[in-house]
Amino acid sequence: MTTVDRHRLSMHHSEVQVSVELQTPDMTLNLGPQHPSTHGVLRLIARVDGEVIKEVEPVIGYMHRGYEKLAEVRTYAQITTLVNRIDWVSGFANEIPFMVATERLMGLEVPERAQYIRLILTEMARISSHLVFLSSFPLELGASTPLMHALRERERVLDLLEGVTGGRFHPNFNRVGGVKPAAGAGKSEKKVAQDLPKGFLDQTRQAMQHVRDVCDDLKDLVVGNEIFMERTKGIGIIPVDKALAFGVSGPNLRASGVAFDIRKTDDYLPYSNFEFDVATGQNGDCFDRYSVRLEEVYQSSRIIDQAVDSIPSGELQAKVPRIFKVPAGEIYVRAENPKGEMGYYIVSEGGRGPYRLKIRSASFSNLSVLPWLLKGQLIPDIIAILGSLDFVLGDVDR
Amino acid sequence: MTANPSELAERAAGVVGSDRFSSDNGTAKVRVESDRWVEAHRALAVEMPYFSWLSAIDWDTEVVVGDPPQSDDIEPRYEILSCLGNVETGESVILSTDIAKDEPSIASLTGVFGGADWHEREAAEMLGIDFVGHPNLTHLYLPDAFEGHPLRKSFPLLTRDVKPWPGIVDVEPMPDEEGPSTENPEDAG
Amino acid sequence: MSALFDNFWALLGLKAVVAILVILNVALVIIFAELKISAHMQSRVGPYFAGGRYGWAQPLADGLKFIQKEDLVPRDADRPVFKLAPMVVLAGTVATFVIIPFSPTLVVRDLDLGVFYALAAGSVATIGVLMAGWSSANKYSLMGGLRAAAQLIAYELPLVLAVVGVVIHAGTLSMSGIVEAQAEPFFHLGQTAIHLPYIFQGQIIGFAIFFIAMLAELNRTPFDMPIAESELVMGYLTEYSGIRFTMFFLGEYAGMFAMSAIASSLFLGGYYFPGLDSGTFGPIVLMAKVGLLVFVMIWIRWTFPRLREDQLQSFAWRWLVPLSLVNLAVTATFKVVF
Repeated sequence: MTTVDRHRLSMHHSEVQVSVELQTPDMTLNLGPQHPSTHGVLRLIARVDGEVIKEVEPVIGYMHRGYEKLAEVRTYAQITTLVNRIDWVSGFANEIPFMVATERLMGLEVPERAQYIRLILTEMARISSHLVFLSSFPLELGASTPLMHALRERERVLDLLEGVTGGRFHPNFNRVGGVKPAAGAGKSEKKVAQDLPKGFLDQTRQAMQHVRDVCDDLKDLVVGNEIFMERTKGIGIIPVDKALAFGVSGPNLRASGVAFDIRKTDDYLPYSNFEFDVATGQNGDCFDRYSVRLEEVYQSSRIIDQAVDSIPSGELQAKVPRIFKVPAGEIYVRAENPKGEMGYYIVSEGGRGPYRLKIRSASFSNLSVLPWLLKGQLIPDIIAILGSLDFVLGDVDR
Repeated sequence: MTANPSELAERAAGVVGSDRFSSDNGTAKVRVESDRWVEAHRALAVEMPYFSWLSAIDWDTEVVVGDPPQSDDIEPRYEILSCLGNVETGESVILSTDIAKDEPSIASLTGVFGGADWHEREAAEMLGIDFVGHPNLTHLYLPDAFEGHPLRKSFPLLTRDVKPWPGIVDVEPMPDEEGPSTENPEDAG
Repeated sequence: MSALFDNFWALLGLKAVVAILVILNVALVIIFAELKISAHMQSRVGPYFAGGRYGWAQPLADGLKFIQKEDLVPRDADRPVFKLAPMVVLAGTVATFVIIPFSPTLVVRDLDLGVFYALAAGSVATIGVLMAGWSSANKYSLMGGLRAAAQLIAYELPLVLAVVGVVIHAGTLSMSGIVEAQAEPFFHLGQTAIHLPYIFQGQIIGFAIFFIAMLAELNRTPFDMPIAESELVMGYLTEYSGIRFTMFFLGEYAGMFAMSAIASSLFLGGYYFPGLDSGTFGPIVLMAKVGLLVFVMIWIRWTFPRLREDQLQSFAWRWLVPLSLVNLAVTATFKVVF
């Protein structure tokens, strides 16, 4: 005799029906891989009771392109085209740690101007990536207007990126030893100055002002909105110890109150020359993840303004042949990407390409916390939490 | 870098109880015995609770893809790597251990770091390493029916067999050495 | 001709045809307004080419496109219910138009229980939504349908309670009667008669509650959880295509008009405007008031994110229902005392 049965016997018949909780079978809800809010091809198999999530299992791999294997048969220069497709929303930023790692293995000295150009474009990639998040997250909560306003300003940034690199999403602009000089530059002293398009620095200053303006708008329209606060405050809290154990990095970690920014701790680009603050949150909820990224756009535009004012002139690239061998050795270089820590562990055995390339991508670790995070949440909150983690499936699957 | 890599490696080696450490190219790396793998992580996690990544390398002298290693004194083995960090100081250390090629297996880190779950699943399917004690060691990326372990050096990349890479593949000397085509560095790539 | 008008059934049929034409046209106009207004709020241009100028024919072109689409029914769907659902939604909305007074004479049928009828007919549409969600054999549709049903139960009560305040004021349930009651002078300032609609006669809270509940009833943002395209794909509409989808679409926009017209009649004085002859200008006055309300609805939709289902429920039960009860008590007290 079960407990419930015994319980029943001790009661009057009419009491039985109200006291025994209604047992309903759980429903399995399949979100994705084709679902409007899964940012591409993420699939979530959720066991739900009504609208409450009992358990969720993310299924990834729909975007797996095997970059780690492909890198083993390519030369270092050819891998550049691969790595900027990992997180396509900020393609330029992906190239940096790979280039820095290769250059350190070869012992190359990168000209300062090239480093500044890399830094400016990396921060532009960060702004463009964050603006996508800042605009698409309200869309997932049902507000579509911020999207249009933020993407309009992002277009200015992308135009600048395109003007320098020739590509909006996949710049493929870095070369081992520096950045790609403009066509014909380097043959004579005069043409060295043609590396950046005419008027680039002024247009950058203007664009940064526009970006800050639209962020002010977003502050009013989104962050100050009562319904937005209701939907995001206290939702999807990642405590610091969980965040660290799952390798959550970038703005997601900083929203939990950890001021960990690789731009401050490592020296892969000359960030120590500039003043900027590390934005942190307190609660680690969706609201903090949104406001941290909003603040980071201000800080990035601040860095760009300083860099544009102080950019030195000079060479763009150290002298490197087209196909070269890299001395044997191992190195790990990480960088603060818009999504978090992006790192490359390169094992060189003296060949034209790496013997083994491990790609540490931010979204992979940020997403791995999902099964833990979604337990017990409501279906509408899945969307809020998923959106607030700001992942890109290419960055998850590689 | 906040800390000197060699000092950092030495300190971390002291914490995990190992005397093999290196800091080449500014990367602090500590080698531990495979039977002390979990123990070493537990010890270092006190100071470095940030679990960055875990992966593995297939060391072999005979490779089907890519350039073979130049040195031929490589002992065939799998090397497991993991990267831990301290978010306050910004230090990060790589722990590594070797396991034998026949029946490669190692204890799972999922009990120490929740994030090791997906990383170990990836390493398991890509290199065929058995993580003992992992709760759900199924394919992460590949289809369930996929056979083989793609990141092993013995696993061929068929597209490259069918069609060789077009364009220049021959190595050119560094510009400060004697050799052709040094005056066009901008064409690189 | 006059013999035709004297025949009750002929007249009723004629009125019905006119009403349906009006509904269709009004729905198209509101759809176009939404396209254009949302575009300008988002610094876009919006429809531009269809029809030659300003893209005025865009809703028509959309409608024609939908009609050409294949009428798909999922294999596991409950076919009769699935096919009937859009008709129920549209029929419920169309039925509401019967009692909307456009002028003292221009009304399909001025029922004595007009307000009661309007609220009852308006909630029939939700039955259609529930039917659509249930019959689609799709989990997202089902959840959308259930959300719509839960929403109906939560918001029907404040909606009715808000109306009761007006009914107590007017002392009648007839829509025309309520509008006429607002046309009576509220008080005299010297020789000048001051006319005030009910919203300024102390029913402003009632109006606010009615408007919020109306948004929920129409499934408009911030209460569009039954559709919630980022969560439930398209909610109860997921499996619908072609002409059936168009019927839902038309139903939504005709519903916007119908509810706005009811709100205008109850709270804003309907076809009456001081100094204008209701017989001649009545329809224009009503349309202007409806236009204002519809604009506010569109404005809200393109500004706010959506609430969560449980937040909506607690908002309805913990705020709107008690507030409307207080409103009702205060109104009744004043009616008795003065």
